[in-house]
Amino acid sequence: IHPSGKLFVLSDGEGKHTTVELSEPLEEEISGVIEVVGRVTNQATIMCVSYVQFREDKSPFDLEIYNEALKIIHEFPEYFPFG
Amino acid sequence: GGYTQSPGGFGSPTGTQAEKKQRIRSQNIVPCTVSQLLAAEHVDETFRIGDVEISQVTIVGIVRHAEKAPTNILYKVDDMTAAPMDVRQWVDTDEAGGENVVVPPGTYVKVAGHLRSFQNKKSLVGFKIMPLENMNEFTTHLLDIVNAHMILRKNLTSASRVPQSFSSAGIGDMGGYGGGGSLPVNGLTVHQSQVLNLIKNCHVPEGMSLQELKVQLHNMSMSTIKQAVEFLSSEGHIYSTVDDDHYKSTDAE
Repeated sequence: IHPSGKLFVLSDGEGKHTTVELSEPLEEEISGVIEVVGRVTNQATIMCVSYVQFREDKSPFDLEIYNEALKIIHEFPEYFPFG
Repeated sequence: GGYTQSPGGFGSPTGTQAEKKQRIRSQNIVPCTVSQLLAAEHVDETFRIGDVEISQVTIVGIVRHAEKAPTNILYKVDDMTAAPMDVRQWVDTDEAGGENVVVPPGTYVKVAGHLRSFQNKKSLVGFKIMPLENMNEFTTHLLDIVNAHMILRKNLTSASRVPQSFSSAGIGDMGGYGGGGSLPVNGLTVHQSQVLNLIKNCHVPEGMSLQELKVQLHNMSMSTIKQAVEFLSSEGHIYSTVDDDHYKSTDAE
């Protein structure tokens, strides 16, 4: 997380990194798996609209499997439409 | 009769005479995305997504809003495939308050409920709303959706399934349903197809026993056979007869 609190870097299920920008600095500490909803910018960063921290208190979230699942659902848009 | 075409349900072979009681036909609970629910057509008393009839569904999403009223709680659940969907949960006014705790916004939940349409607006009446404790359930739900819709649609389009995969060299043969890797042919893995075929061809009244299956399929371990039987049974392809060791096919002549 950047010291200003307005930027943080995430790495996905394949180990690739991306920068997420916020319109206002973070008000809380975040760690672990975060789901960010936002728009992709020209500089290939994400302008964050909202984020949610995943619960990992009972069991860890398998990010690699989630990544695979994403690839599958994108392969079958007829069964998984994105309105 | 013409009943064999409809999506499995719980394999109850109660040859209901179709038309009037449409509600009996869709006995499945189908995992869906909100975008699928919104796109579903409302025909008479039922809903259809593509050609698949649905009534009870599950969705997984984040609670964006929760409003508590005396008799019900109205949530707006967002799964990011479309705008948040209204989910109404009725509250038992007879029971002492503590039963229904409102789920706070920002929580991921799994909702099981009935699809409803009122004045062209779709909503769900939720009979079970559970916060997700294990986020991997979210991943499973995504895959469940693709899988369920694929199988249901295939069941409708293929009249008599004669799995060619019988002799083909183990496609998706990792003993996997719901595991990783390649999608099986006809919605069934090689093992499941083999087991199903044997059961289908058994004309004995009490059905095919697990022992008999083991004898006929000597290269398959008992646990693999049992797994296949459990899967086929939950998908509605077979049903147990005299006891849990005997099964008949729902498609049998």
